[in-house]
Amino acid sequence: MASKSLKNLTGPLSGNNPVIVQILGICSALAVTVQLKPAIVMGLSVMVVTAFSNLVMSLLRNGVPSRIRIIVQLVVIAALVILVDQVLKAFVYDVSKQLSVYVGLIITNCIVMGRVEAFALQNKPWDSFLDGIGNGLGYGSILVIIAFFRELLGSGTLFGFRIIPESWYIAEGGFYSNCGLMLFPPMALIIVGCIIWAHRSFNKDLQEK
Amino acid sequence: MKFNTNSNTYIIIYSVVMVVIVAVLLSLAALGLKDRQDANALNEKKTQIVKALGEDPATVAYDSVIAKAVILDASGAVVSEDVNEVFAALNDLKGSFAAERFPLFVANNGVVVPLYGAGLWGPIWGYIALDADMNTVKGIVLDHQGETPGLGAEIATPKHQAMYPGKTIYEGDAVVGVTLKKGGADKSNAHEVDAITGGTKTSDGVTAMLATCLNYYKPYFDAARAAATEVEAESNTVNE
Repeated sequence: MASKSLKNLTGPLSGNNPVIVQILGICSALAVTVQLKPAIVMGLSVMVVTAFSNLVMSLLRNGVPSRIRIIVQLVVIAALVILVDQVLKAFVYDVSKQLSVYVGLIITNCIVMGRVEAFALQNKPWDSFLDGIGNGLGYGSILVIIAFFRELLGSGTLFGFRIIPESWYIAEGGFYSNCGLMLFPPMALIIVGCIIWAHRSFNKDLQEK
Repeated sequence: MKFNTNSNTYIIIYSVVMVVIVAVLLSLAALGLKDRQDANALNEKKTQIVKALGEDPATVAYDSVIAKAVILDASGAVVSEDVNEVFAALNDLKGSFAAERFPLFVANNGVVVPLYGAGLWGPIWGYIALDADMNTVKGIVLDHQGETPGLGAEIATPKHQAMYPGKTIYEGDAVVGVTLKKGGADKSNAHEVDAITGGTKTSDGVTAMLATCLNYYKPYFDAARAAATEVEAESNTVNE
């Protein structure tokens, strides 16, 4: 793999991350990060959609009438999202129930259309596909970090397994209680803020002068 | 070869072809996966019914605990014993209740009643299992669409649902259901469990759902209870 193609894949993971650098896709980052499992499935679903919508649009890019290109993009993305939703319902029913409407809302995720419009329409299919995978991974990784803190501090579990022992809780005579605020969307925003803070401290070139 | 990709003819042909291709693709996917999805949905319902009876769905099969599934009318008479019809009624429980078709699962020892009501943000539903006396709660399963995580959504946790077994739904001749009592249940009251702290609206929704749905089945319960009393009276006479 040429190093330029590789850059399409790795760029969005950190330096050009869609969530914490471009501040896209925040809405769903708040909604599905109460627990780890849905966050991971959501990240994977978005990755599949960004990768394949980029691939399809890149293949079509010379034939798409530029006047209706946004509609064409929307149709391609919507079709892919419906496919993902159907597959989830058929094979991981309980997760699909947990994600409920948010799978359908991938259609409105700014990252997907943003990458198609900004990248896939000007680049070759393979590069676009990698760019889609990279952006999906970049999005998913942030979701997983947020969900890790929200589930651990909010429910005392990870993947549904108890991490903080029952005996620590006040109800059982201990000293600990879960942070209820973690379960609410605003806390996800605060965690995103903390991640951006940490990320920019390490990547000085991202800091505005 | 160079088309004018912005001519009207090209745009119209392009859109039509694209939409047809997408439509065919999605229909094929929907058709191909439908059986699997339906099986998942049916399996999910059966699992919840077994859970409501207090059994572990991993080891206990639906068929081994449920004797038959029926649909009752408003007077408690059986109008259908077709399993498919019963599960179809569950898919639109709200509509079935409105049409006075009440699905019921008769277990080997007791019954399982489906529930449907309104929470704070959206619908709540579940199953409650009663003992053969049609009074004592054997177990309950509750679920919701979008109650607040950590607050109202706690109704779906085993911890909350563990409070119901042993409670009774009859007060004299009236069905009162089980009340989720804010501030903690009175332990001596057989119709009360603790409400969810911070989830008062959802708790009220569960209380209302239990009272409403169980009363739909009151004629059936009454008949079963009357029959049981008669049997008991007869056996007492024999003993004398």
